[in-house]
Amino acid sequence: MDETLETHLQELRRGTVVLACLQLLRTPGYGYGLLEDLERHGFATDANTLYPLLRRLEKQEYLTSEWNTDEARPRKFYRTSPAGMRLAGTLTTEWAALTGAIATLTNTDQEV
Amino acid sequence: MAAALTDRYIGAVTKSLPPATQDDVRAELEASIGDAVEARVEQGESREDAERAVVTGLGDPAALAAGYADRPLHLIGPTHYLTWWRLLKLLLWIVPACAMVGVAIAYGIADKPIGEIIGQVAVVGISTIVHVAFWTTLVFFILERTGADAGTTWTVDDLPEPQESGAGRGDLIASLVFLGLAAGALLWDRFVGFVLFARDGVDVGVGLGSQTSSMPILNPDLWPWWITATLALIGVEALLAIAVYARRGWSAALAVLNTVLAIVFAAGAVHLVVTGQLLNPDFLAVTLYRDDVPSDVGRILSVLLVVVIVGIGIWDVIDGWLKTRRAQRGAR
Repeated sequence: MDETLETHLQELRRGTVVLACLQLLRTPGYGYGLLEDLERHGFATDANTLYPLLRRLEKQEYLTSEWNTDEARPRKFYRTSPAGMRLAGTLTTEWAALTGAIATLTNTDQEV
Repeated sequence: MAAALTDRYIGAVTKSLPPATQDDVRAELEASIGDAVEARVEQGESREDAERAVVTGLGDPAALAAGYADRPLHLIGPTHYLTWWRLLKLLLWIVPACAMVGVAIAYGIADKPIGEIIGQVAVVGISTIVHVAFWTTLVFFILERTGADAGTTWTVDDLPEPQESGAGRGDLIASLVFLGLAAGALLWDRFVGFVLFARDGVDVGVGLGSQTSSMPILNPDLWPWWITATLALIGVEALLAIAVYARRGWSAALAVLNTVLAIVFAAGAVHLVVTGQLLNPDFLAVTLYRDDVPSDVGRILSVLLVVVIVGIGIWDVIDGWLKTRRAQRGAR
């Protein structure tokens, strides 16, 4: 694909992964599982972007984590914290506002 | 063998992480890589190929570690880059030039052969440039890693002043007046003499002319050829100034002419200083060569004089080319 186009798309998508993670992790999830969930919902993300991101969000206390050792393979489960829920709410509102704002750019019968 | 690949990869990622997080990251990465490999094996890939593909997908372990540790992957980032670049340019204009001139003066005074002086100036010039660049960059590298604030924010006061084109009426007048004075001074020195000295005590109540006699500073033997050649050079300089004014700016051809003039003038002047022909021997007899003046003074003054002549020449050449470049940029 055209490299400039790819850059623009990346710029636009940057930040949506954070919102998607916060929403998906209202139910606890672990690294690889979350990667697949994101892909299924249309947020294709590289593993090497997601894993550090989860830790950063945990450090910023938007996620909490817990080791689950019930299964053969111990996994670190992340869950959105109350602060993370509030951040997700703010980001979602902002996203809706942006969607509305972009719609007014193309509507001909807009009132500005 | 296959398991070793994952282990080696995880080892490479975790080794540069803070010890407190190493075990946690290791365990999580093991699980994540294991899950991804499992998923690929279920699709029918061999375990070895799957592992290789997953680890390849994760990319350079150092980059992943930087992501975990929140470390920048650049030497100097956008916060400090412009400050670094401005400071570096400023220092590179000042420091190497000062060091090179200093070495030239010191070696000249120490009476080293000219080849050694040139070699040493080049060596010092290059090593100063390398040192300035390295240490400045190191300081900003540390600022970048420690997250310190360099304390410089841009304001409108930092806007550069409009630069001189060197082609205004003021420049022309200044050049011509200066050249006229220089030519006048040369002739006055030759035919009247700048230095007044008294045979006996001077009575300030009476006119000085009758009590003193005068002598030229420059060697009278320079007349007629050297003086005439200098006057011709001054004439060409005047024509150059007029040409710059007439075509409203410098051009490459004028800059070349300016360069040639500067080199001819500096070479001639340096030749006269070095061969001891520049100054009037009578004048020197009553000043430098008096018995109470240390014999080294004359030599040291010659060295300084040569440095000044060469410095002015070099600056004149650079100035001409800078103004030419500005004029060409402005025209585009």
